[in-house]
Amino acid sequence: MDATPSSPGRAVSAPALVAWLLVLAGLVALPRFLDSPYALHMMVLLFLSIIMGEAWNVLGGYTGQYSVGHAAYFGAGAYTTMMLMQFKQVPPWYGVFAGIAVALLLALVIGSITFRLRGPYFVLASIAMAEILRLIVLNWKDATNGAEGILATEVPPLKVGSYLVTDFSTKVPFYYGGLALAVAVILVNWAVQGSKLGYYFQAIREDQDAAHSLGIHLSLYKNVALAISAVFTAWAGAYYAVYVGFIDPAAALGIDVSVQIVLICIIGGIGTILGPMVGSLVLVPLSEALRSNLIAEGLFRIGLVSESSPTGQFLRENLAHAHALIYGVLVVVVILFMPDGVLGFVRHALARRRAA
Amino acid sequence: MTVFLQSLISGVLVGGVYALIGIGLTIIFGVMRVINFAHGDLLMVGMYLTFFAFTLLGIDPFLSVLLVMPAMFLLGAVLQRVFINRVLDALPQNQILLTIGLGLVMSNTAMLLFTSDYKILTTSYSSGAFQLLGLSISKPLGISFAITAALTAALYWFLIRTDTGQAIRATAQDREAAQLMGVNVRRMSVIATGLGAALAGTAGALISPTYYIYPQVGGAFTLKAFVIVVLGGMGSVIGATLGGIVIGATESLAAVYISSGLKELVVYVLFLLVLLFKPAGLLGKSRM
Repeated sequence: MDATPSSPGRAVSAPALVAWLLVLAGLVALPRFLDSPYALHMMVLLFLSIIMGEAWNVLGGYTGQYSVGHAAYFGAGAYTTMMLMQFKQVPPWYGVFAGIAVALLLALVIGSITFRLRGPYFVLASIAMAEILRLIVLNWKDATNGAEGILATEVPPLKVGSYLVTDFSTKVPFYYGGLALAVAVILVNWAVQGSKLGYYFQAIREDQDAAHSLGIHLSLYKNVALAISAVFTAWAGAYYAVYVGFIDPAAALGIDVSVQIVLICIIGGIGTILGPMVGSLVLVPLSEALRSNLIAEGLFRIGLVSESSPTGQFLRENLAHAHALIYGVLVVVVILFMPDGVLGFVRHALARRRAA
Repeated sequence: MTVFLQSLISGVLVGGVYALIGIGLTIIFGVMRVINFAHGDLLMVGMYLTFFAFTLLGIDPFLSVLLVMPAMFLLGAVLQRVFINRVLDALPQNQILLTIGLGLVMSNTAMLLFTSDYKILTTSYSSGAFQLLGLSISKPLGISFAITAALTAALYWFLIRTDTGQAIRATAQDREAAQLMGVNVRRMSVIATGLGAALAGTAGALISPTYYIYPQVGGAFTLKAFVIVVLGGMGSVIGATLGGIVIGATESLAAVYISSGLKELVVYVLFLLVLLFKPAGLLGKSRM
């Protein structure tokens, strides 16, 4: 089996299109039937993860540039929007576009420096750029509050003219905002995949030198891929910041953010539209189940571990902090046993079964 | 002038330990062409080993090197055999991600076992200082530099004089040619990762009296190790030695003359400048 993800182009079969539309219709209708804030919260986290994963996929998946510094764009979107909102009373609806503009500018600077490098050097440079940004935000206390971070005391409502669109006081506007963004970035991936631009990206991924000798302008197309990627990553950052209402340099610009973005794609499958969605469907419920101690409670419930035993106590106290550990284990397992991600693994398994 | 000399000296002393971290990374990279993103986490494991040897068994941190080195060699060898060996032919990004995953596992296991609290290892000489020509040199830094220098010398001797050392260098120069000459390349890979882990762990032991010990401490050191190695030229042991000292001195001077919060920023900017203008490192294309 070939290790590189195949790109089926833009063709969508009629049954697939119907299935997609049904899923979308279901998601649009969902908040009418599901008003539990916790369920909505989970969905918001899921959308957020899909947006970040699909955004990274344009650069990492199609173009093959493994940026481990995407926290820079996430943080740029989050910080610009929050600073404008908290210090200048600019509603996030407008602030987010300033955040995207800052991220684009940043992408231009970072891209022009890092895209001259290849392989591990590119990865290292991308990390260093995000770290530089984190250190600037951490130390520029007058503008950013430094390590204390920024707490949103009040989110200004969204108005168009005098018409109140939403006041952000419930989770529902965040649900639809996230859904819309996720659909948008998925459509962008789809458009890229079957376009000339996308073929240039994939040519660069497969063999930079060959692509260059065919007249593909390497730095131009890498920068275009990064720009698309940065726009949605910044958008996700702004969305996250306003939703949670608090950011600090570690949460918005730390290397964990960058690694998590890459993980979404690695675990699902790189260079495919479904990959980041599958990755999000694996990672988000898992890390939430750990964080909220659902797994420990579950083990007690089914009687596998006694609640009062030392093991039970240990699990109750510590499993909530274990989600990063599970991420690590997942990455190791996926790289060793499913190098094409969960999606590739399932596809191969299905193909084997059909052949047998 | 005294301030300048003082900070230069303490920078160079710290730089010696940095060099040890860099040499470990560069040997692993040289032999296997794999960048070990878990390098700082190996250092963290070394710090905790030293901390518990000190608090539970009363072993002096500098003496515990004797214990930490073989233990970490073993850990490195196991990591190589069980994990890294399987991705030697995989895409570089998969290798990077695997080691990132291993690092996550190590740092988060440490967090589960020891909580995320900062631990401090205080010895009787922690705040002591030697006086030398009107300059004062911190005792822990001075001792650790002496040990570093001795270890580095021993390592050079090992790499240049012993058969195993020569086999390692041959593997680093050309894996296939070395194999054709009868070098057991797989064994050299295990030794290289073991050695790299041992050096990272030793560096952790040596800095444990002067740094906070906590599960996430490795991240900053992983990145620093790369800066050091890139500065000296990937795969060059002499380059890593030089790179470590340059970075130590730069950090120390930046902390005094710019701001202690921005010393890492200065290091990363230096890193990017080297990547852009002298990507082969300060020593060009030299190999170990």
